[in-house]
Order: sequence, then structure tokens, then C-alpha cells
Amino acid sequence: MGLVFSRLFSSLFGNKEARILVLGLDNAGKTTILYRLQMGEVVSTIPTIGFNVETVQYNNIKFQVWDLGGQTSIRPYWRCYFPNTQAIIYVVDSSDTDRLVVAKEEFHAILEEEELKGAVVLVYANKQDLPGALDDAAVTEALELHKIKNRQWAIFKTSAIKGEGLFEGLDWLSNTLKSGGS
Amino acid sequence: MSGHDSKYFSTTKKGEIPELKEELNSQYKDKRKDAVKKVIAAMTVGKDVSSLFTDVVNCMQTENLELKKLVYLYLINYAKSQPDLAILAVNTFVKDSQDPNPLIRALAVRTMGCIRVDKITEYLCDPLQRCLKDDDPYVRKTAAICVAKLYDINAELVEDRGFLDALKDLISDNNPMVVANAVAALAEIQESSSRPIFEITSHTLSKLLTALNECTEWGQVFILDALSKYKAADAREAENIVERVTPRLQHANCAVVLSAVKMILQQMELITSTDVVRNLCKKMAPPLVTLLSAEPEIQYVALRNINLIVQKRPTILAHEIKVFFCKYNDPIYVKMEKLEIMIKLASDRNIDQVLLEFKEYATEVDVDFVRKAVRAIGRCAIKLERAAERCISVLLELIKIKVNYVVQEAIIVIKDIFRRYPNTYESIIATLCESLDTLDEPEAKASMIWIIGEYAERIDNADELLESFLESFPEEPPQVQLQLLTATVKLFLKKPTEGPQQMIQVVLNNATVETDNPDLRDRAYIYWRLLSTDPEAAKDVVLAEKPVISDDSNQLDPSLLDELLSNIATLSSVYHKPPEAFVTRVKTTQRTEEEEYADAGEQGLSDSPARVAESGASPPASAQHPAARQPAAPAAPAALPDLLDLGMDNSNSAIVSVDQPATPAGPPLPVLVPASTGQGLQISAQLIRRDGQVFYSMMFENNTQVPLDGFMIQFNKNTFGLAAGGPLQVPQLLPGTSASTLLPMVLFQNISPGPPSTLLQVAVKNNQQPVWYFNDKIYFHVLFTEDGRMERSTFLETWKSLPDSNEVSKDFPAAVINSVEVTLDQLAVSNMFFIAKRKHANQEVLYLSAKIPRGIPFLIELTAVIGTPGVKCAVKTPSPEMAPLFFEAVETLLKS
Repeated sequence: MGLVFSRLFSSLFGNKEARILVLGLDNAGKTTILYRLQMGEVVSTIPTIGFNVETVQYNNIKFQVWDLGGQTSIRPYWRCYFPNTQAIIYVVDSSDTDRLVVAKEEFHAILEEEELKGAVVLVYANKQDLPGALDDAAVTEALELHKIKNRQWAIFKTSAIKGEGLFEGLDWLSNTLKSGGS
Repeated sequence: MSGHDSKYFSTTKKGEIPELKEELNSQYKDKRKDAVKKVIAAMTVGKDVSSLFTDVVNCMQTENLELKKLVYLYLINYAKSQPDLAILAVNTFVKDSQDPNPLIRALAVRTMGCIRVDKITEYLCDPLQRCLKDDDPYVRKTAAICVAKLYDINAELVEDRGFLDALKDLISDNNPMVVANAVAALAEIQESSSRPIFEITSHTLSKLLTALNECTEWGQVFILDALSKYKAADAREAENIVERVTPRLQHANCAVVLSAVKMILQQMELITSTDVVRNLCKKMAPPLVTLLSAEPEIQYVALRNINLIVQKRPTILAHEIKVFFCKYNDPIYVKMEKLEIMIKLASDRNIDQVLLEFKEYATEVDVDFVRKAVRAIGRCAIKLERAAERCISVLLELIKIKVNYVVQEAIIVIKDIFRRYPNTYESIIATLCESLDTLDEPEAKASMIWIIGEYAERIDNADELLESFLESFPEEPPQVQLQLLTATVKLFLKKPTEGPQQMIQVVLNNATVETDNPDLRDRAYIYWRLLSTDPEAAKDVVLAEKPVISDDSNQLDPSLLDELLSNIATLSSVYHKPPEAFVTRVKTTQRTEEEEYADAGEQGLSDSPARVAESGASPPASAQHPAARQPAAPAAPAALPDLLDLGMDNSNSAIVSVDQPATPAGPPLPVLVPASTGQGLQISAQLIRRDGQVFYSMMFENNTQVPLDGFMIQFNKNTFGLAAGGPLQVPQLLPGTSASTLLPMVLFQNISPGPPSTLLQVAVKNNQQPVWYFNDKIYFHVLFTEDGRMERSTFLETWKSLPDSNEVSKDFPAAVINSVEVTLDQLAVSNMFFIAKRKHANQEVLYLSAKIPRGIPFLIELTAVIGTPGVKCAVKTPSPEMAPLFFEAVETLLKS
């Protein structure tokens, strides 16, 4: 009985779970961002061989956030998680300029995916706290974000360590998801 | 078919798997849990639900312990069939192994151990390391077992990560269950390794004895089994240990009891005091007797073990023979074992009782049991001289019943009794002869015929009796034929009259001309020749006095008995076979050659004088070994010059250093531009390596009518950037002459991009002719540098530091390694250096290293069965793209 009610409530208030994938190259800071969002603190992480999944409640939206390992060996399995995804958070290590090309290629490969056609894209230009980190404009340029068509996207400068920019991005995401009707 | 009918093919029903998939991805937790339950249910009844792997694994990160357990269960089942996707579970394992709930930590580490997927094993080391040092004993004890499982998957990893030491530390754990599991894990690891890994010291001994009293029954079994392998320093220590262990004999679990018995028996070997031994025997009897009141299956196991125990120490159960009397409702397998033990325990004191029992058994209905009972009487007669007469009278009584199989069995044993007590009981032969026509079994027939032949002089109608058998001679089984032959010869020698003479001719004819059986024919010819050359000698041979026999049937060889006793309470002691006879376990022992030699030497020192003599002979043999193969290697290229294009590098170097640096002799170079296409100029060339440098060894042959001069050479861009290191030095070439040269080469000059290739395009020109273009092949091994040798430790480190994706392997079905030494020598010539070798089942696994310029290492593993075609080559290198070239080179080297 209680279950039926809670389901009823969630549908009334639009409090449904949005499925979000956090993707990006290895060492971009995905896991740190996930736990910063969920617990509000910086946890020490090791390379994610596999995935983490947590529920993050924000702005009346429950996000089911899947943080997938970014190592080359695991990237092929990202596609297992694509179905029913409302949004992608793509995390870029803004200080790792050498691999921005790789990041761009992976990013555009994701956008090509049929199953992610309807997903909105939020890019975190992460690690802004590091010296030599590119700003959002430069990352936009490097990732060729302007090539994105028929899809809502946004980019935010973030620092997961300092906790800057993350919730601004989530604000945008929740607003977009609410209004976008996705 | 109208267009509408197509709807029958596109069903709207989705089927079970897609439905489950949808439910697994539901946003509601309870729905997901139900779905996983459905999946497990489907898995249990044998449906293949492996395609749901990722969907199930995605449910793994949950607060719900029940759901987590179900997902883990699924993983254990399907990780093997989805080895690539299994990696997705790693992170969750790592997380769970740090969960605040010890149950989850243990669950994670246990499941990890059950997943036998190479790709993820190494990721599981860190969690395992943590769990071995966990605060919670439940986690530690689970982790201990996990080490043994990991050892089975990857022994090297376990050793490198120091898990063995961690396990040994756990023996001193304050929790008895952890101690027991650590012991169990170490014992298991020890079984698959021939190196001593687990040795109990006096320090661990006291820890184990303390833990023994506190841990669970199965933990006790592990500890007792480990203790039984401990060699006490002296009788005192042995007594002390035994004293601590004897309370285990009272345990309700028969496995504990048997393990305790085993342990005590082992330590008793050292105890010298007869009082103590007698006391211990007294203490062991009641628990062993108690085992016989369990279920028949356990009784059987107990009986098989007791069978061994009474052979070693008959005193333990000497007074308990009554418990081995068969009950009417015992299963046949229990009865048979009991009979066996009754024979072993029979003594002058209890023989009357025993004979009564046997007589009773001989009238039962189960034929096998009756036979065994009759035979048991005979064996008792042979064993106990003072009871022999009583036994024989029982046998005669049984013969009088005239039951066919009883009679036959009796005759078989009576034959043995005659051999045991010659000239004592022959009076009963007459009784035996009465049953002659009822015999239909080969063994009984053969026994009867033997009796007739042996005692022919006492049986008046021996010739008639034998003759009756002779009629069917060709149809008889070999066993009977052999006895008939011998008996007839005996008869003839004892009564050389006309009747037997005729008989012997018939028999010899039958046994030589008519038969296909070589045993029979050979024996017949021997008799024939003996009889025809010297009948007196034949008498001495055939009628010689036979040695008295004793009952040693079903008596085990003492060394085997000791081995079986050390395996009491295992399958080995039930089968009465040493474990290696029926367990095949891959021994993952890694030994280098030196170690093997060292071992052999040590063995020789510690062993008996006979062994010393043996090993005294062997060192010269092994010392000869390297000497013997050295001349062999250079001899080979001489015999097969053009096959060994590799050996040439080596043999040439000696020649070159003399005084003709420009004209390398030896095998001819491959012709790349034949005279027919080169307008009379023939060019042969090959890349070689000499003195740490790459040379292009070339030969020009002028078959034109004009002198050729002004030779120049150029190399096109190639994978390794090989280019001429200097000008081509070829003198003017007069018609009909030739010139050879060695052109030093340099690397990394004009590297061609793109995938690695062995193609080397060469252009040669001279002043008289057009430019000649030709293609050559870069033998990759030419690039192997002299500094490619690695220390074992470096090799291991490098191997580990490279990701698995850098490992490539290939099979060479045609290549064959006939001798490890020769192959290693060959490879060493090409700068492939031997690191280590090990044996894996019947395969030799060789580890080698090589380096190409710029310090790129190749770590090589060659696996092959010596002398059998088929070599597997695996290589790990930072440049896996070079692997195809590498394989090509290795294949060439191996085939040479």
C-alpha cells in the first residue's frame, strides 16, 4: 500500500528518477564529481574498473547517476549503459591538453549513438583548480561543441576538488530536463 | 501468400529475456529485485540467461543484501562465459570489500575468489590484501580461503603479492576459525606446489594445538591433517602432541575421529615407550568401533581405513573382532570389507569363533559373499598353522554340500593349502576328485588339474582324470590349457607308461601346432626340448620341490601402506591407492635448470648408499651434457647449410675475423636479382647481424660481357628506418667474376609510417646498367640487440608493468622443439636470451627476452611439448604492433 502511494506521489510531483551517465576519459574526475554531488565531500578514488551508481537528489529531481570507468579497456562497454539515458555529463580534464583530441573523438562518437539521440549533454571542463587548465571557451573549441546540432548542451567550468561549478551545471540540467520534457 | 500474412512473423510478444531485461532496468528497486530473482530461477533450471549479464551486474550496487547476494550468485555462474564484461563488476567488488558491513566484505572477497577470469584477477589483489588484514575474523577467514583459490588461478601473482606470507601470519591469528582456514588454504596450496610452502614449526605447532580445541569440526579436520604431516623432533614432543590431540577421538564427527587417528598413528612412529604405545592403541579402539555403528556408507569408509590400520598395528583391534562379524542386513560392500578385516584379525585365540562365522556365511545366498567366505577359510588355514586342520575340515564339510560354486572355491583354496603344508593333507584329494565333473570355472579347473598333476603318483586314475580334460583342450581358456600342459608333463615324468606317453604327444601337438597363444606354445616347446634331450633334467626342473607359500594376498607393500596411512580419511585410503594414482593436479612449479641440478645433488647426499652410488654416476653424465652439445651445434650448419640461415651469422663471425672481411664464406646468400632479369648481373643479399651491428651482406656476380663499376645503393623508407651506413664498396667487376661486401647499416634514418612491415626495398645502380630495384625482407631477429638479456626480477617487473592488451600470442603448428638446450642455443645466437623455464603438465614453458634498438623489450614465452610439432609463442612488449614481425622471425628461427 505504502509503495503505491509513494509511486503516486512521485508521479504527481514529477519527482521521477532521471538516468544520467557520467562519461569521460580516465582520470577526468568522474568519480570525484559523483561523490561530490552525492555526499558533498571529496573522497579519495582509485581508477574505476567498472562503474559506480548513486542517486543524487537535486532541485526536486532524483538523478540516478552512473559513473562509468574511463579507461581505454572499459570504454567499449559504455554502450551497455546507453538505453533510456536522459542526460550525459561529459567530464574533461581541462589541464590534460595532450589528450583533448582523444576526448573530442570519444565525445563525438558518443553523440553519434542512436540510443543517445534524445539525451541532453552537459560538459564539465573540470580541474580548473590546476595551473594551465583551459577555460570553458577553449574546451568548447577543443571539443568542437559548436558542431552539435539538434541537441541541448551546456559547458561549465568546474573544480570537483573545490566543489565549484558542479551544481550550476546540475541546475542547468534539471531545468532543461523539466522543460525539455525528456 | 498475401501481404497480410507477414504479421505472423513479427510477433508482438517479446519473449522472456527482453522482458527480464526491461524489468532489470526498472527504476523501482523492488521490481529490479524480483527480476533478479526470476533470472536466478531461470539460471537454476538451466536456461541460459547470460545475455542479461550487464543488466544484472548493474543491480549489483545496492543497499539490499539479499539482492547483492543474488547478483553475486549470478556472477559466479556467468563470469566465465562473459569474461570481457566481468570487468564491469570489479569496481563494485572493490567498493564492497570496504563496506562497513563485514558480511558484505566477506561476501565480496568470497565471490571474487570464485570468479576465475584472468582479466580481472589482478584487480582483486588489493581488496584481498585489505581483507586479509580486516578487523573482522569472518572476513579474514574468508579471505584466507580466497588466497588458495587465487593460487589455483595464478600462483605467481599470489607469491609476488606476498599473500603466502600473509596466510602464514594468519596462523598466529587470535581467532581459531581464521587459523583453521589459513591452515586449510596453505595445505591446499602446498598440494599443488612441490616447493615447501607450508611447514609447521614449533611455534606454529603450539598455535595450532591451541586453535584445535576451539574451532569448528571441519576446522579441526584441517588442523589435524596439517599436524599429521609434522615431524616431531623427538619422542617427547610426539607424546606431547598426541596427548593434546587424543580428546579429538571422542568427537562426534567421524572425519575428526579419523583425522585424529591418522595424526596419532603418524606420531606413534616416533614414540619409543611401549607403555605409551599400548595405551594409545587402547584409546584408539573404542572410537574406531563406534564408527561402525554409523550409516553403511560411513561404515565402508571406516572399514577401508581400518583395513590399513590393522595391517600396521593389529593390536589396536585385536580384541574387537566381534564387531566385524557381518550382520544379515549389512550391504554387500560392507560385508566384503568386514570379511577382509576378520581374516586379518583372526588368531589362534578366536579362530573357532571366526570359523563358525565363515561357515555360516558360506551358506548364505549371495554368491560373491559365499565365495569370499570360503576363500577366507582357506586363507585362515594358510595364516594359522595350528588352526589349519580345523579350517580344512570346515572346507570338506562345505564340499559335501555339493553347491557348485562352493566346491570350486574350496578347490582353489585347497590348492594353496597344499602348497603351504606339503605332505600333510593330501588324503583329501579323493574327496576333491569326486567333484571333478562339476567344475566349470577356469580358476577352479586349473587348480584341480594342478592338484592332479602334482599328486599324480598318489592318484591311481590320474591319467584317466587328465584325459577327460584333454578332449576339450582346444576350447579351454589359456589358464586351463597351461595347467593341463604342465600336469600332463608331470604325469608323464612320474608314470612314463604308454598312456601318458600318448597323452603328452596329443598335448604337445595341441599346444604347439594348433594354438595361437605364444605363452602356451613357448612353454610347450621348452617341455618338448627338455623331454627329448634329457628327461632327467626335465624331472629336476618340472618336479622340483616347491617353496612353501605364505598368505600375503591382500597384504600391502610396507611403503605403500605407510603412504596410505598418511592419507587416512581421504579417498586415497578408501581406494587403497596413492593419491597421485587417481588425482591429476597441475604442479605449477617453476624451477630453473640450476635448481634442478642442485636438488639432484642434495638428494644424492641425503639418500641411502645405493642412491649415492647412483647419483655418483650421474654428475659426469650431466657434466658431459654441455660439452656434448657444443660440438653438435656447429656441426649442424655444416650438414644443412642453407636451412640454417641463422646459424650462419655465428659461424661466419669466426671466419670473418680472420683476414677476409669482405668475403664472408658459408652458406650462399639468397639471390634477389637473378642474372636473367639483371641483364647478366646477379645480386644476392641478406641482412645479418654481426658484432652488435646490422650489415647488408651482398654478393655481385658479373655474367655480362663488360666490366661493371660505380656501384651505388639506396634503401627506400622502411619500418625500421634501415639505411646504408656508408658507401657501397664494390670494386670494378670484370666479366665472369664476383665480389662480396658487407655494408654497414644504420637504423632510424628514413622511417616509413604505417603498419610495421618487413619489406625492404633496395635500389642498386652501376655505371653500365639501368637501376635495379628489388625487394628484400627484414628478418626481425637481425635487430635483436646484444643487451637484451634481463634479470629474472626485471623480467617479472616488466611483464607485470605491461597491460594485458600488450600480450599477443601465436601458434606455430609446424615448428618443433626437439631439445630445449639446442633450441636455446640457437635462439641465444640471435640474441634471444633465456630467462627461466618451467614444466606445465607435459609441456615445457620457456621464458626469454630480447630487445630491439631504442630499448624496446620483448618478453617471450614459448610453450611446447618436446619433440612434438606445435609451439605456442606469446610475447609481451610495449610495441605489440611489432608482434607479427616478431612471430615471423621466431618461426624462422625455430624451424631452422
